[in-house]
Amino acid sequence: MNKIGYKVVLATIATAAVLATSGCSGVLSGGGSDPTNDTGPIMLADIVPISGSLAPSGLTMKNGAQMAVDEINAKGGVLNRKLKLDVLDGACDPQQAVSAANKAISNGDVMSVGNYCSGAALPTLPIFNKAHIPMILAAADSQVLPDAKSPNAFLINGTGVQQAESAVKFMKKEGVKSVALVDDNTQFSKDITTGTAKDLEKDGSVKVLLNTSITAGESDYSSIVHSIVSANPDMLYFTAYYQEGGLIINQLRAAGFTGKIMVGDGSVDPALIKIAGVANAEGVFATSPPTPDTLPNAKNWVANYTKKFNIAPGPFSTQAYDAVRLAAQVITNAKTTDGPAVIKALKTIKGFQLFTGTLEFTPEQTLKSGGYVILVVKDGEFTLKDSLK
Amino acid sequence: MSQLIWNGLFVGSFYALIAIGYTMVYGIIKLLNFAHGDIYMLGAFIGFVALGSFGSIPGSMSLIVLLIVMLLSMVLTGFAGVLIERVAYRPLRSAPRLAVLITAVGVSFSLEYGVSAIFGPNPRVFPVRLSNDGANLLGAHVSYSQLMLMLIAILLMIGLNAFVQGTSTGRAMRSIALDTKASLLMGINVDSVITRTFFIGSALAGAAGVMAGAYYGNINFLMGFIIGLKAFTAAVIGGIGNIRGAMLGGLLLGLLEAFGSEWFGGQWRDVFSFSVLILILTLRPTGILGGRVTERV
Repeated sequence: MNKIGYKVVLATIATAAVLATSGCSGVLSGGGSDPTNDTGPIMLADIVPISGSLAPSGLTMKNGAQMAVDEINAKGGVLNRKLKLDVLDGACDPQQAVSAANKAISNGDVMSVGNYCSGAALPTLPIFNKAHIPMILAAADSQVLPDAKSPNAFLINGTGVQQAESAVKFMKKEGVKSVALVDDNTQFSKDITTGTAKDLEKDGSVKVLLNTSITAGESDYSSIVHSIVSANPDMLYFTAYYQEGGLIINQLRAAGFTGKIMVGDGSVDPALIKIAGVANAEGVFATSPPTPDTLPNAKNWVANYTKKFNIAPGPFSTQAYDAVRLAAQVITNAKTTDGPAVIKALKTIKGFQLFTGTLEFTPEQTLKSGGYVILVVKDGEFTLKDSLK
Repeated sequence: MSQLIWNGLFVGSFYALIAIGYTMVYGIIKLLNFAHGDIYMLGAFIGFVALGSFGSIPGSMSLIVLLIVMLLSMVLTGFAGVLIERVAYRPLRSAPRLAVLITAVGVSFSLEYGVSAIFGPNPRVFPVRLSNDGANLLGAHVSYSQLMLMLIAILLMIGLNAFVQGTSTGRAMRSIALDTKASLLMGINVDSVITRTFFIGSALAGAAGVMAGAYYGNINFLMGFIIGLKAFTAAVIGGIGNIRGAMLGGLLLGLLEAFGSEWFGGQWRDVFSFSVLILILTLRPTGILGGRVTERV
C-alpha cells in the first residue's frame, strides 16, 4: 500500500499536474501577503513518512532537520527571522505526498527540505515548481527525479545510478562472478537493479543469473528464496527496504544459501539485523550513503543528537540536517526567500560543507561526489567496509 | 518440485486459517469483515507482549511457552472479535450492506493505527524464534517448526469442522447461514450464535498471527493487510460461506504462488496466480465448493 509501483506513480503525475494548477491558484488568490516581507518565521516544508511502514525513517529525518533548525535559531536565525519546520506526512505514498505538498504551499512554506521515498517525491516536483518553491531532496534518490528535469529540485543524496555504479565496483573488487538482483518493484529499488544489470552487461565479467522482484509487505518469501538457491549466485544484491530484506536474509540462510549478500541503502537500518537474526546478518554488505556512525566527522553530532532525542541517529538523519543547513545558507546568500532567487543561489553555491564532503552539483542538480560507500555487518552493527575512493 | 509444493502448502495453511474467519462471518451474516486481517496482526502483537512478559525463556521450554501464549492470544483475539461485532456490526445489522462494509474498513484502520500508536510504527522482532533445523523429505527441506505449525493448523481446522458439523451450536450456525429469519422463528438465539462465530473466526486468526510471528520473527502493524486480502481471495475461490472451501482455497492460492514465482519470476507471480483465479471464477462463479445460490423471493 505504501510502496507504490511505477504505473501508479505515472497515473499520479497526471493527477498531480491537475492539482498543481489548482493548488497554486489557490495560493495566489487566497494568500495575499508577499512572504518575503513577512517578519514571522521562515517556514520549511518537511514531507517525510510519518505513518506507514517507513515511518521510522521519517522520524529520523524529522529529528535531523529539527536539530539543524534549533541550532540555526539559537544563532539568531536567517535574515533576522526564525526558521520553522512544517512537518507533513507523505506516508511514502504519491497521493498523500501530493496533498501534503499542496498543504505546504497553502501554509506559506518557502522551501522544501524533506523527502524520503522517490515515488512519493516525484509527483510533488511540478507542484512545488509551479509555486516557485525550491526543493532540497534529502534522501530520495531515484534517477527519475533528475530525469524529471524540474528546475527547482536539488538532490543531496547520491542517485540510484551512482548507487548501482558503486555496487558494480564492489562486486568486481570482491571477485564475484555471478549475481542475483532482487527489487520490490518500487521506483528507487528498481532503479538500482536495472542500473546494476545494465552496468554488468556492459562490463561482462559478472553474470546476472536472476533479476526479479518481490511484493513488499508479506512475510513468506520462500518462493523467491527457492529461485535464488536454485540459481546459486556468488552474491545476492537486494535493493528494497529493511523489513523484507531482513526476512529474505533469514529465509535464505535457513534454506542453506551460503553466497554473499549485499543490500541497498533502503535496507541499512539496525532493524534489518534484528529481523534477519544477528548470526544470519553477519557479513552482509550494503551500498549506502555514509551513515552517522561511519562518518569520522560526525562523532560530536551523533552525541548531541542522542542527547537531544534520547535515541541514536538513524540513516538519513545527517542528510536531513544538511538539507536544512543548506536551505538556511542559500536563503542567506539570496538575501530573500523569493523562490527564483533562492534557486539561483542553489545553482551557484560554492564550498558548502556537507557531512560527506564539499557540496558540488552536477548540471542535472545531483551530487557530484561523496555519494556511496560499502558497509558490512560486523558483530550486529553496520560498519564501514570500503569507502570506494 | 517437492520443495515448491511444500512451500506452497505451508504458506497456504496460513491463508486457510485466516480465510476460515472470512468465510464463517460471510456465511452467517453476509458481511465482508475487512478487519479480519488486522485481527491476525492483533494476535501477533498479543503474543509479542505475552512472550515479552515471560522474560528470558530457555530453549527447551520455548515450544510449551509458545503454545500457552498461542492459546492466550486466541482467547483474547476471540474476545476482540466479539467486541468488534458488538460495537461496529450489530447496531448496523438492518442497515444497508454498504454501511457495514464501511464500518468494517473503519475497524480495520482503527486497529492498524491504534496498534501503531501504542507500539510505534517500527517493526518488532518476536522474542521467540523457531529454529530452522529440519529434515530432507522427498527432496524438500522441511523444518520441524514448519511441520509443527502445519500440524497445529490442521488440528485447528479438523476441530472446527467437527464443531460445525457435530455440535448444536454448529448446527445453529449452519441453519442461520441458510435462513436467518426461519432460524429465529425456530427458537435459535441468533445473536449469541453470531457472537460465537466471531469468537471462533477471530481466535483462528489470532493463532495464525502468533504462529507467523514465531516463525518469520518479524511483526508490524500493517502485517495483516496483504495476507488479509489474500485470505479473502482464498475464501472466495473456495466458495465463500463454505468452510472446507476456505481451507482448499488457501492451499490452492499458496501453491499457485509458489509455482507462479518459479515459472515466471517473482514479478509475474501475482499476475499468474490471480489470472488462474479469474479463470476459476469465470468457470465456477460461486467458487470451487460453493453451493448454488438460489434467489430468495
